[in-house]
Amino acid sequence: MLSDTESRSAVEFLYREARLADEARYAEWLALWTDDGVYWVPGTTDPAADPQKHLSHVYDNRARLETRVKLLQTGHRYSQEPASLMRRLISNIEVQAADDGELIAESNFVLAELAIQAKHEMHWWVGRTTHRLRRVGGDLRMSHKKVVLINAAEPLPNLSFLI
Amino acid sequence: MLDYKWLVQDDRIHASLYTDPQIFADELERVFQRGWVFVGHDSEVPRPGDFVTRHLGTEPVVMARGKDETIAVLVNRCAHRGTMVCNAERGNTRTFTCPYHGWTYDLGGELLGAPYPGGYAAFDKSRHGLTRAPRVSSYRGFVFASLSPTGIPLAEHLGPATRLIDRSCDLSPEGAVELSAGWVKHRCAGNWKMLPENDSDGYHLGFVHRSMFMSIRSQYQRVVGDERSIEAVVRDWGHGHIEIDWSPGYQAPFEWFGGASGPVVADFVAALERRDGPEVAQRRIMQGPAHALIFPNLFLGETNIAIVQPVSVEECVHWHTPMFLKGVPEFNGRLLRMAEAGMGPASFLMPEDLTVAGRNQLGLQARTAPWLLLGRGLNREFVDDGRTVSHVTDETTNRGFWRHYRAVMAEA
Repeated sequence: MLSDTESRSAVEFLYREARLADEARYAEWLALWTDDGVYWVPGTTDPAADPQKHLSHVYDNRARLETRVKLLQTGHRYSQEPASLMRRLISNIEVQAADDGELIAESNFVLAELAIQAKHEMHWWVGRTTHRLRRVGGDLRMSHKKVVLINAAEPLPNLSFLI
Repeated sequence: MLDYKWLVQDDRIHASLYTDPQIFADELERVFQRGWVFVGHDSEVPRPGDFVTRHLGTEPVVMARGKDETIAVLVNRCAHRGTMVCNAERGNTRTFTCPYHGWTYDLGGELLGAPYPGGYAAFDKSRHGLTRAPRVSSYRGFVFASLSPTGIPLAEHLGPATRLIDRSCDLSPEGAVELSAGWVKHRCAGNWKMLPENDSDGYHLGFVHRSMFMSIRSQYQRVVGDERSIEAVVRDWGHGHIEIDWSPGYQAPFEWFGGASGPVVADFVAALERRDGPEVAQRRIMQGPAHALIFPNLFLGETNIAIVQPVSVEECVHWHTPMFLKGVPEFNGRLLRMAEAGMGPASFLMPEDLTVAGRNQLGLQARTAPWLLLGRGLNREFVDDGRTVSHVTDETTNRGFWRHYRAVMAEA
């Protein structure tokens, strides 16, 4: 049984991660990951999607996560230069303990993105996220984040911000 | 009648080609209806009854494999009231049934039945099938269709550019590629022609993709240095088929693959050597797959296959999937990760290309300066083996695309 404190710390983690991503605070966002972190945005909504067989939007290990952030930090990632204006709402959060001691947090999100790099367009991103959170030292870190967009298989505009 | 010979000149093109809805309508008719258009790959529909839905221009179509194994391209529109018959992206079926009044068609588009036939005095089912693309032809599994009953055969449209498709397919020990990973679709707020132009533009890399060059090493490192030290070239294959050939700049095998070694790679090379002999096999692993546009909508994007789908005069979609090599499934994991790094909305390259395409579309709203320059490299391009070749940063490829476009569009 998960304690209220553990559950609350998971929820607070999700909110903090969302705020750092919204505000393009790349280095702080990267620091939320474990060294073996996996960041996955499948290319379909099919629950059977397998990243070793099917194309994903994002399937980053730690090295590629660092590259992703590095690109954004160059100031020349023109699809995020200037960074999109974003706010995301996270809701319907359910936290449970995994057998290995990690926390599994599932949640829904709605993200409004004003893409201001060319045509100024409002994009809506909606989906469900699964986080796996691990205690490293005293702090929670993400070891896995899977984001299933409801329109993962539809034509998507640029997704070079952190979702 | 628009004067395409004036709009497309040898060293400049008119901005309205990207912004005029009338021109877009002409393109749907002359390029995407009359001409040969890439639909899909036969490995996407391996079994009888397999189908995928696609677009020829804006025409919704289904590519389906029949019981007799032949592939048909059917217009996805009920013969009765025009309803789109098939709504799934892919699947396996014996029939297509219209949801509106239950008209049912077989995999070749023949009408099998229409409920309550008493409402017609005489009803000839054979006259009310789905419209079938009158010409479907394939080359090494790449299926092309034309919605026109007449015109040049596919072999003539492709011409010597079949060698580009060969270059990619021959990397497979079984001589075939397999597209089984699914497609990611990237929406572009720009005219569709910007994608073929950009895919074959070797000039933009160091600028548009500066963030990538600042962050990671890649096979493209050698094309952003000093102008005179760049060895890669662009090549015009005729009929609008155009290529960037990076291989003159490669110094070691598998640079196109980010390097490769180990027992799987040794077995792969040995398999190619058994089939082709050591000299040809070594050339294949040195040169890698093609980077080329097959007019108008198929992009052989090195280890990816991509499709350009026009949506409206100012919107298109870029589809991509990794090109798996039959016979070496061990490469699939790497090919997937390369596909995700290179193409698609979250990749390290294409978001920049499509941002610039969006900025192009906005800039082209300017009416005071209607011409775009197309003359780069006219001073130094040369003919080699019957094809025009030039420095990789030259617009030889763009001119090849537009020359063919003009010929197609100026045909009454």
